[in-house]
Amino acid sequence: MTNIIDHLSHWELLNIEKPARYLGGEANQAQSKTDPALKVALVFPDLYELGMSNLAIKIFYESLNNTENIMAERVFSPWIDFEALLRKKDLPIYSLETGRPLYEFDVIFISFPYEMTFTNVLNILDLGKVELCTKNRTNWPIVIGGGPSASNPLPMAKFMDGIFIGDGEESILEICNKLIEFKKQNLSLKEVRMALAEIEGLWVPEFPRNVRRRIFKGFANSAPPLKPVIPNVQAIHNRAPIEIFRGCINGCRFCNAGYYYRPKRERSSESLIKYAHQLLENTGEESLGLLSLSTSDYSELSCLIEGLDRDKLYPEQTVSIPSMRMTDNTIKLLNSSSRIRKGGLTFAPEAGTQKLRNIINKNITEEDIIHVMKTTGGSEYRTVKLYLMMGLPFETDEDISGIVNLVEKLDNIGRTCSPKKQITVSLSGFVPKAFTPFQWSRQNTIEELKNKRFAVCKGLERRRVQISWRDEYLCLLEAVLSRGDEQVGDLVLAAFRNGCKFDGWHECFSKSGWEKAFEDTQIQTSKYTSELSINSPLPWDFIDFRTPKAFYREEYLKAAQIAGVTPE
Amino acid sequence: MTTENIEIKVKIEYTKTSQSRYVSHLDNIDVITKALRRLQLPYAVSQGCHIRPKLSFAPPLPLGHASYCEYLIITLEKEIEPEKLKTDLTDQLPEGMTVTNVIQPWIEKKSKNIGERLEYLLHFRDLATAQIAKEYLSDPESSFEGHHKGKTKKYKLGKAVSKISLSASEGKNLLAVEFEQGIEGIPSVSKIITALAEALDKDKDSLYLIERISLTEL
Repeated sequence: MTNIIDHLSHWELLNIEKPARYLGGEANQAQSKTDPALKVALVFPDLYELGMSNLAIKIFYESLNNTENIMAERVFSPWIDFEALLRKKDLPIYSLETGRPLYEFDVIFISFPYEMTFTNVLNILDLGKVELCTKNRTNWPIVIGGGPSASNPLPMAKFMDGIFIGDGEESILEICNKLIEFKKQNLSLKEVRMALAEIEGLWVPEFPRNVRRRIFKGFANSAPPLKPVIPNVQAIHNRAPIEIFRGCINGCRFCNAGYYYRPKRERSSESLIKYAHQLLENTGEESLGLLSLSTSDYSELSCLIEGLDRDKLYPEQTVSIPSMRMTDNTIKLLNSSSRIRKGGLTFAPEAGTQKLRNIINKNITEEDIIHVMKTTGGSEYRTVKLYLMMGLPFETDEDISGIVNLVEKLDNIGRTCSPKKQITVSLSGFVPKAFTPFQWSRQNTIEELKNKRFAVCKGLERRRVQISWRDEYLCLLEAVLSRGDEQVGDLVLAAFRNGCKFDGWHECFSKSGWEKAFEDTQIQTSKYTSELSINSPLPWDFIDFRTPKAFYREEYLKAAQIAGVTPE
Repeated sequence: MTTENIEIKVKIEYTKTSQSRYVSHLDNIDVITKALRRLQLPYAVSQGCHIRPKLSFAPPLPLGHASYCEYLIITLEKEIEPEKLKTDLTDQLPEGMTVTNVIQPWIEKKSKNIGERLEYLLHFRDLATAQIAKEYLSDPESSFEGHHKGKTKKYKLGKAVSKISLSASEGKNLLAVEFEQGIEGIPSVSKIITALAEALDKDKDSLYLIERISLTEL
């Protein structure tokens, strides 16, 4: 086996930013196995610091490496400088554990964490000297994608031997065990793909058939990853993560994750306290992150926090709780323990008026936010962050002024607090996503979104409020990639060929590369951003997402009814 | 009867070689702090809002330099078994980091703060380049440009190199160099090695390993 790391000189490594990203050897790294039956590459198509924070990678890494005969290794996207070095020396991207080139693996599992990593997926395959398009692929490795951005698998279909829809815990082992058999039987790639299509949740583009989203029913009684690799370069989330429950009960009409992770399944507080203890023993992280889509909805939260407070391993141990709904009860709970990290108050009202919040089914009221602001007036929470969307379905001018009014009210309260609170507003354009009640909705044009953003910024220009926003062109691209069909695969390929990568990183994003890709492929954005008829078939209808299409339609109609609109 | 809080300082000496030499000083602190927590040592913590283990580290090692003389000083509330700590901590550290010595109690001497002496071994692939490097480092007049507080500054080697010897046997070309640094007007080892690499130009790849062997306060 070739160890690519041996081909990199000391001075070459010193010339790149954070060389430790590319060298492995961290504490808790899996031990190399001699001649495993299956060599698995777990690819996260973004930087080391992000990949090392990703929960799915931790889950699969631990479960696969705890299986005899399987060796799973990590591969992350190299930053621009390191990619240039690899390309200059004609070296392939490799795994951190053994320096094995990507093309030498039996199977490559690629996570699609967000649409803006699609060009990175192609870049990493290309750097790994793996044929990009499945139709030209004649040899192993098998390439399988999955993750929340694979809900609609069509845009990445031409690059993947299979795309997995749903929870991956059980299925990844099932796929690996099948592949071990197929290797022994020396099956052709075509035969392998055909056999893989039998696995529940796995959609094989070459043998398309209806596919059902896989649910890990044993989640509540399963153990989370307990001995993750400790990064040698500080990860984006510097904490020991523990998923307390999966799924969400809130039913926000724009949110794909809310439907992708259904149903809600909780681990018991008793087991979580035990697992947290083991996890901290094995990681030494200062902070324990209680993860879920909406931690406030965990039924045993106070019991869990009390238990964690009681059962501390080291004096500086803290708990971080992202994704909390800021209600009075939540604040009481947070204040009950001095060990909970209090970064700032974060609210995601998403819309400026109660009417629009009702339309999108976002169950947070202005009264809730104001009450929390007032009750935490003298507390250590110094910043208040608000996430708001523009261009939501059925939005009116009044809703945009509503954003300004809401922020002004909160700023007025913040000014009377001691110490004063700093309000931060994060604006983003609405992106219609498959498998949500708003999957049929139109996306605002770039001009419309910009005008709305200008209106909000102008309305708040005299305020001491920090405003950040997501580039409108990125919102448009995300819509094309989310609601795309197989033709969008050509667009992603063209963008990659035009040098697009790290599209989610503003310093790397190449608008001209994407614009040229649209020109090259003659793809019109309007095909993917326009309103779709709620009665016509959708490209992703072949996926049973375990929520009937009729339900989404009903939800859409409810939203329209609140808005007083009759959809065509 | 009152229980008095005792505090014992312990010096832990360790190596930083192979991949770990590319881990930055700040990341290194993070990695070691987590390893110490995993051992659940009875360490003392700082007071204040954000409590931290009472730890201090050796001055930052330049990125890419291997070292056999790194250390940290930890304050404990109870005595520990030094040999056990040596083995247990090594097991918790990334590849290339090994605990070589644990000194308990560690009694800090007052530093005169007049600089430090550093022994280095520079490994070369070929003897000719090693000889050029020896000449460069032996000449107090060797000069180079370096950056200091965002400005470009001219440096001269001066008295930075106090001893130098070259050995070549069994295919190994080793340049043993004794540096002094932290003294007014003398450039740091990090700057000197970077300048040496620039001076070697296209032959710099011959210098493939830079090892810090010892560090002594002057």
